[in-house]
Amino acid sequence: MTDEVVASHYQVLEELGRGSFGVVYKAIEKATGETVAVKHIDLESSEDDIQEIQQEISVLSTCASSYVTQYRASFLCGHKLWIVMEYLGGGSCLDLLKPGNFNEVHIAVICRELLSGLDYLHSEGKIHRDIKAANVLLSENGKVKLADFGVAAQLTHMKSQRNTFVGTPFWMAPEVIQQAGYDFKADIWSLGITAIEFALGEPPHANTHPMKVLFHIPKNPPPKLEGKFSKEFKDFVSQCLVKDPDHRPTAKELLKHRFISRAGKVEALQELISRKQMWDAKQDRVKLPVFYQETLHHISPKDDSDEWVFDTVRSVALPKRTVRSRKPSSASTIQDAMRHLDVKDGPLQPTTPSTVRKATVRRHPSATAHRGSARRVSNVSNGGSPRASVAPKRPLQPDLSFGNSGSTMRLFRRVPSDSSTSSQHDSGGGGGGGHHRSSSKANENRPPPALHPPAEPSNKEAALGRRLYNKAIEPSLAELHAQTATSSKREALANLSDAFAHLDSVDPEGAYHLLQNLVAAVGRDSRLSSALFQQQQQQQQQQQQHQSNKPSIDGTPHGTVLVKNNNRAGPSSSTSSVVSAATGTPSSASSASSSPSKLIMSQENPHLMSHRRKRSIAPDGAGIGGGGGAAAPAVPRSPEKETRDREKMALEAKFPGHQAVPGMEHCKALSDLLYARWTDGLRARWGGLSG
Amino acid sequence: MAFLFGRARARTNAVELPKQARDHILKLEGPTGAAKADELAKTLALIKQILQGTPETESSPEQIYQLVKGIIDEDLLYLLAVRLHRLSFETRKDAQVIFSYVFRFRPPAASPKSEPLALAYVIDKRPQVLIALCRGYDHKESATPAGTVLRELLKNEAAAAIILYDDGNGEPGSSAQGVQGIDREKPQTGTGVLWLFFDWIDKGSFEVAADAFTTFRELLTKHKDLVPKYLAVNFELFFSKYNLTLVQSNSYVTKRQSIKLLGEILLDRSNYNVMTAYVDRGEHLKICMNLLRDDRKMVQYEGFHVFKVFVANPHKSVPVQKILLMNRDKLLHFLSHFLEDRTDDEQFIDEREFLIKQIRNMSSTPVPPQR
Repeated sequence: MTDEVVASHYQVLEELGRGSFGVVYKAIEKATGETVAVKHIDLESSEDDIQEIQQEISVLSTCASSYVTQYRASFLCGHKLWIVMEYLGGGSCLDLLKPGNFNEVHIAVICRELLSGLDYLHSEGKIHRDIKAANVLLSENGKVKLADFGVAAQLTHMKSQRNTFVGTPFWMAPEVIQQAGYDFKADIWSLGITAIEFALGEPPHANTHPMKVLFHIPKNPPPKLEGKFSKEFKDFVSQCLVKDPDHRPTAKELLKHRFISRAGKVEALQELISRKQMWDAKQDRVKLPVFYQETLHHISPKDDSDEWVFDTVRSVALPKRTVRSRKPSSASTIQDAMRHLDVKDGPLQPTTPSTVRKATVRRHPSATAHRGSARRVSNVSNGGSPRASVAPKRPLQPDLSFGNSGSTMRLFRRVPSDSSTSSQHDSGGGGGGGHHRSSSKANENRPPPALHPPAEPSNKEAALGRRLYNKAIEPSLAELHAQTATSSKREALANLSDAFAHLDSVDPEGAYHLLQNLVAAVGRDSRLSSALFQQQQQQQQQQQQHQSNKPSIDGTPHGTVLVKNNNRAGPSSSTSSVVSAATGTPSSASSASSSPSKLIMSQENPHLMSHRRKRSIAPDGAGIGGGGGAAAPAVPRSPEKETRDREKMALEAKFPGHQAVPGMEHCKALSDLLYARWTDGLRARWGGLSG
Repeated sequence: MAFLFGRARARTNAVELPKQARDHILKLEGPTGAAKADELAKTLALIKQILQGTPETESSPEQIYQLVKGIIDEDLLYLLAVRLHRLSFETRKDAQVIFSYVFRFRPPAASPKSEPLALAYVIDKRPQVLIALCRGYDHKESATPAGTVLRELLKNEAAAAIILYDDGNGEPGSSAQGVQGIDREKPQTGTGVLWLFFDWIDKGSFEVAADAFTTFRELLTKHKDLVPKYLAVNFELFFSKYNLTLVQSNSYVTKRQSIKLLGEILLDRSNYNVMTAYVDRGEHLKICMNLLRDDRKMVQYEGFHVFKVFVANPHKSVPVQKILLMNRDKLLHFLSHFLEDRTDDEQFIDEREFLIKQIRNMSSTPVPPQR
């Protein structure tokens, strides 16, 4: 039985919590209707040995006690491991502490239950090693259960000892820290610390650096419970916190302690749960439940042409359409690949569920569009066929994913800044930029198409698309990449950048339409457009001012970036309307005269020189508005302007609401459909809320 | 008085309990199976208690000796191993404790270097116990307890040899007659219990597969004399099955872990000859290069650690050179961008640089290796 089938036996609902280990969701077992907790561990993101996770499962799966969270099952779903556990609606004691500290009555009950749990574990030869409030869960009716066996140990021999240094510093027993060999008694110490945590809200030394605490605990006398607490409680804590494990009582012995033996019923703990609910209700911020979202299978964008060549005969005619050749000569692989493709292309078909926060999708619709675009690129590159033939048939697949691949989550988080730098400029290119284009762009240079051998831009859109890539997408991606520190984020950006580069080389026209649609979609959303276009407008105004006064200072806020761009991209001394906001509309011959030094330097940039040379040699820019761009920097304005105006009109014509230009209907349809798909998808996924 | 009475009862128990357990086990399939299962559970709990002792009373070594002897005489180890999956949850855990205590027990007079009583018996006379424990992976219920016991046992080289060289009951040279009957020069027919591990790992549910893999790894990495010899004799069978079933498994965990284990095996000094034979094969290199292109980063990463062995090998075979040369430019480009985000993994970066240099400096026509 494949594990993936088992995954479909569960209906996964909202997120319960997340940590370094993964994300925990509430779920319903479809067969029984029972509520369970499902922990998703992304094995791909964990460097450690899978064996450690397996160890946790094996400890859990051999526990059968009402004091321990009950393990149900575990299975693999792609590279995610699902661990199904009993659902405990009361939450963790750490959460329950948020409204305030526990009183002694409650603490006594919890400690008694915990001692029973520890007694069970210890009799089974297991050490929990991480007892703390966060790992104590309550059921809805107040039952207390030990949870999180991530570092638990199973002893094969009752008298054997452990040396491994694990746990959470504040709760660690001195013998664990000293690594002198410890046993079950270590859990008793942690229980004592946890009791203090219940009473005071935090463990002793909570304000000290965890590493410092590691020196404190073995060196200093044991912490004491001070304050207005009963003698019994104080005694109980001090018994747990005997530094010499040999003199520390066992769980069984502590169960007879007066503080414990007079404790009440677990039902009393329901007060803690309702207290927390009241507290939550009083909080101002509305806590939106975060829903589980399944991930679609996807094939990461790969350059097929780069597949390994293993035999000379095939290398000559290696078909580009091989989606991926893992086992080059096996037919089943290709079938397999086809299956994956089907899965991906099928609308919203759940295959590899994973964890992405719904909320992010909702809050950043622009991001969705962004992602969708990247995805489409990947399709194109995978298919290896020119978009021209593909576009009408499969224009929509990418959007079907709604950004739920594993890496998206990170990409999304990044998006606010992303869109503030790049999509803003994109929008300039698509719409708002039209106004100032004629002035700012009038005398700029165009990158000659000859610089880009892969695909000659064959029409205006293609030329614009290419320009868009060179001027806006590539530099802003590069900038963002440079500003991003986290490797996973960098990687996601790099992937996006690669995908765009590929799209640009294959189909610049597609890139253009893509961004155009993106801008259109952003424009339709009032909040987004106000957020993104407002800056744009300000910038425009600023620019117009500069244009009239001293055009050159324009863009200085981006000074460093600008210089970098010029140095890197060489020909980018020319400006495009698309990027004008980003690069600050600099560097045309007229502005160069009064530009700041940086810009002057970039004018003398060797790249630029060679670019000029090339440009003069290059054949007339095919398709770029009659090749006016090939003129020298100091061209007269008017022909250029005409071109611009024509372009502008072409652009505006394609804006939403406008009639589609003949021959471009599919693009309008595409943008409309993309948007509709997106809203439909949101509705489908959020339906659970209203229903 | 109570003290004396308890003692007397314990002594009879040590003799009687294994007999009782045997009777119950043999009647498990009968009409009174359910009742017998309960009685068996009680009996095993008692046996466990004697072996383990309680915090209050320690069992005397003499008593334990009697009990272990009784368990061996009644063939209880085999009977339990075969039926482990049929026992209830708690009884399975008791059985597991009994196994590990019995297999560890040495009579007080015996030297601490000698093999424990029950272990020596199983290795010489009753290897089927070990096979039956492996068969615990046939069932989800018995996988964990059987695996835990097995891994303890596999620390013993003879026990590992029993499992490696199991080749069915009829085959000459198989371990079925005990460790003495093993013929280490004779290639395996592929019907022994070791070959079942591949399916358990590849097709089992996560719990079974993960436990079976852990045992499999122990089996192949612990014994530096036994395993290289075994792999040399059974090279074709072992690695063709390993590559096909494990390295190219559809299960992410199986794939990732088995690539890692492959790297460990190849890079183990004791396996030098196995390693050179492995990296001579062009077929193996192809599999490995495709791993570098897997869509999961960790698979790529583990694949890299196998790939580097091919490239770093100073005596590359002609087929290997051909493949590398045919893909030289692609490899150079690919490697220069390979797992770029591993910026703080210095060893990896160094190794990647090294490989790039190696590939760049290869002679453009294959040179027959000289050793």
